[in-house]
Amino acid sequence: MLKHNLLLYVRTIQKHKSSFLINLIGLSTGLVCVFLVFLWVSHEMVVDKFHKNDERLYQVRRNVPNGQGSLATFTSNSSLMLKALQQEIPEVEMATAVYGFNNSAHLEIEDKKLSSFGIMASEDFFKVFSYPLITGNKNTVLADVDAVLISSKLANTLFGEGSDPIGKTISVKKAEENIDGIFTITGVFEIPKTSSERFDFVLPYKTFLKYRNPDDIAWYSNSSSMYALLKPNVDLNDFNDKIADFTKKKSDYVEDQVFFTKYSDNYLKGTYENGKQVGGRITYVILFSIIALFVLFIACINFMNLSTARASRRLKEVGIKKAVGANRKSLILQFLSESVLLSFFALISACVAVILLMPWFNSVTGKALVFTLEAEIIVPIVLITLCTGLASGSYPAIYLTKFNPVKVLKGKISTSFGELFVRKGLVIFQFSVSLILIVAVSVIYRQLDFIQSKNLGFNKDNIIIFEREDALINSMDVFLDEAKQLPGVVNASYMQGNMTNFSNSSRGHSWPGQKEGSEQLTFRHAHVGPDFIETMGIAMKEGRSYVNERPDNGSQIILNETAVKLMGLENPIGTVIDMRGPNREIIGVVKDFNIQSLYNEIAPMALLCRTEWVSNLVVKIKAGEEKSTLAALTDLFHQFNPGLEFNFRFLDNQYQELYQAEQRVSTLSKYFAGMAVLISCLGLFGLAAFSAERRRKEISIRKVLGQSIGQLTVMLSSEFLKLVLISMLIALPIAYLLAADWLSQFAYKISLHGGYFLGAGLVALVIAMLTVGSQAIRAANRNPIKALREE
Amino acid sequence: MLLQLKNIFKWVNSGGQRIFLLKDINLEVQEGEFISVMGPSGSGKSTLLNVIGMLDTFDEGEYDFLHESVHTLKEKHRANLYKEYIGFVFQSYHLLDELTVQENLEMPLLYKKFKGPERKAMVADMLDRFNIVGKKDLFPAQLSGGQQQLVGVARALIANPKLILADEPTGNLNSQQSEEIMHLFKKLNEEDGVTIIQVTHSEKNAAYGSRIINLLDGRKV
Repeated sequence: MLKHNLLLYVRTIQKHKSSFLINLIGLSTGLVCVFLVFLWVSHEMVVDKFHKNDERLYQVRRNVPNGQGSLATFTSNSSLMLKALQQEIPEVEMATAVYGFNNSAHLEIEDKKLSSFGIMASEDFFKVFSYPLITGNKNTVLADVDAVLISSKLANTLFGEGSDPIGKTISVKKAEENIDGIFTITGVFEIPKTSSERFDFVLPYKTFLKYRNPDDIAWYSNSSSMYALLKPNVDLNDFNDKIADFTKKKSDYVEDQVFFTKYSDNYLKGTYENGKQVGGRITYVILFSIIALFVLFIACINFMNLSTARASRRLKEVGIKKAVGANRKSLILQFLSESVLLSFFALISACVAVILLMPWFNSVTGKALVFTLEAEIIVPIVLITLCTGLASGSYPAIYLTKFNPVKVLKGKISTSFGELFVRKGLVIFQFSVSLILIVAVSVIYRQLDFIQSKNLGFNKDNIIIFEREDALINSMDVFLDEAKQLPGVVNASYMQGNMTNFSNSSRGHSWPGQKEGSEQLTFRHAHVGPDFIETMGIAMKEGRSYVNERPDNGSQIILNETAVKLMGLENPIGTVIDMRGPNREIIGVVKDFNIQSLYNEIAPMALLCRTEWVSNLVVKIKAGEEKSTLAALTDLFHQFNPGLEFNFRFLDNQYQELYQAEQRVSTLSKYFAGMAVLISCLGLFGLAAFSAERRRKEISIRKVLGQSIGQLTVMLSSEFLKLVLISMLIALPIAYLLAADWLSQFAYKISLHGGYFLGAGLVALVIAMLTVGSQAIRAANRNPIKALREE
Repeated sequence: MLLQLKNIFKWVNSGGQRIFLLKDINLEVQEGEFISVMGPSGSGKSTLLNVIGMLDTFDEGEYDFLHESVHTLKEKHRANLYKEYIGFVFQSYHLLDELTVQENLEMPLLYKKFKGPERKAMVADMLDRFNIVGKKDLFPAQLSGGQQQLVGVARALIANPKLILADEPTGNLNSQQSEEIMHLFKKLNEEDGVTIIQVTHSEKNAAYGSRIINLLDGRKV
């Protein structure tokens, strides 16, 4: 019987190639979406879960009142916290402190020089975390103050593959942290693919403390991340209640609330708002899972619709089989196995497509996913396929087999109202989903465009930024003076950290006329050089900028507008305040500029002038002379640092990376929307073709009676365009709500207007019109005599 | 006695009115009979045939088939009954277009749980008996109407039914082809003892049978 049914199916396919292809393309496209998202999601879900004690591994966070009525959440802690965790909290089995560098450090070994990104971690780091050690003892690798561990990747770069680097020495320089020393390699570690952290070397935390200003080792000075293994069976909620005031008791200056969060949760649920966990990557994981399932569902709908619409072709078979003794069960089984078979054909083509699309998908998602034939991948996708086959086949199977054979064989099947209702409902659903996706794509695109073209308060064009490395640490001023002489260089300066984020913040300052409670006001601050404000094109509101203040300027400060406003200063210029040092005179106020992504409002900000901790140089280049100027700058850099690579980046690109997640969402949703629209149109195409077929007699009669081809085309098309219009009514309000919700997280956003929605509706309508119209025109042009003679 | 209909009524309700398709039909059929059902269009011939063939239900009355009361049987049991004892021949042949002659013949056997080799033997036997061995790999569309109906009859016979129900089996055929089919029916009836009930419009075809039943407006006349 199976062979028989298979034969029948294969021949049916041969006879009705187009509907087979529509179904195959639709289902494969749907499966491709689901498989890609499945691979992505299953990778996201295991990130950071490789640590052996994952269940007990926690990170210490702090909620801090920001002086503006809400809480800010930080992961940084005082370095004093480490000892406190280890000695004063009995629930803690083991703890480690990590200081992560903001930018890369300069490494030198023999004649090799390179910059590399690293961390500084306390002794138990490799016991708390489970980064595998290739060589070295995890109990002792970080015991010595001059120890360093390197990643296997770095080991290969420095020493070649297969060599043993243990005992060799590396020189490490890092300006911002005052690190400059020779370290001995004590171990080589590996970073698993599923780790969210990427670092190439680990220095002892002791070294960090050694180079640190003793004044900065205090409970109110937060620099390091703290991680702890809690003892088994500790209830997190009780524990968090218990330790909430832990640091408050330590120091009068501290207003923090301490709490622990599971380390591996941070990756997916890392966003905090007003002290509460509100989402993070998990939002996108859920979003794309839903979208992929919707796309697959749309493809299933196509299958159901086409199968039931073309029922008349299969009904004869059902009738005959019933008449010769087939029972309903065996027929349902037959149709289900057909749809399962089809879905497995789709599985094959989907797998091929996924393999071909993998490099593209990886570049979009920024992952290194591989489509391998492992059980963890094969079993779920086979199950997904099986479910798809059963789900899409169930309705046709039940529908086709329910008829009385006598009626079927006499061709007396009329389509019931309910059935039409279901079919139309499904088409409306398809188009609603497609419409929502089209709106989403356009809104995301516009918002990103808006962000990127928004006036940030500084000019990010033609500015390059590079690290203060090696010789530049001591002779930065000379370098800058010479750089300014180069033709094509507009201006040059230096700064601490990046323009995309001033990571330093401080509180507890005082100024004349300070209001009660405002000592908690948190300021972002950065050290910048003379000419910095000019180089960046930041506008002065009043006062003056730093001009050739040397040596280091400890008595002056520049604030931004927001800071002045929040501090309540009437005449800021000349006012003396206590901020990052006593008795600083405000010499200037700059207009507000954005240093973070536009999710955030502009924070109160202070610009200080000190060279010591400066890590980056910035150079503004004349537009149109980039190439020659960069060549000249490279030469100059090599004069100071022979043999070192000149790694510069355009501020513009750096800024765009702030919106990498959004860019990814934008690209992905563009393709998913495209797929949804494609599948929906395939379905509509099939239905329109079928409807034209079914109404052949009607069309012929109308034609014989004098209706024109144009009128017929309109009549046939309008049947489907009505459905698209209804789906617009349903989808556009939903799309509006979703778009408004997404935009609400941005501090600066586009305003939603009808254009986006009407535009999306129009796109859907035009696509549907083209799809249906072609079929309608073909049907209307047929010779009516032919159809009528057949009756 | 093969089957017996007692006071069979079948109706549909249309616009508040009850329209009778079959009205008080009483009929006894002995094994080995060849009955022709005649009557104008809409007189209920096909309905009667479908009721006898258990493809259609009735609203009132009793129906015994081989001493089983069909009207009290469950759907599944009824299906088994007609699967085993009844073969159908249709006016428009109703062969599956996607299957070859051979495969079409094999199909009913699939639903009767015959084993593979057994099925092959039965199909071969039938092809031989109807002289269509040469056509076994052709598709219905490649055959003439007469040949298609020959396959249709062969398919109805393949599982050795006791009763063949034929609904205007020659309706789509020319006179020569019809004659061949009617000869075949007569031969089956006389030599193999198959009971046949056919619906026909043609007096000539009706004459092949041993008994004629006339229907008018759902009533036996």
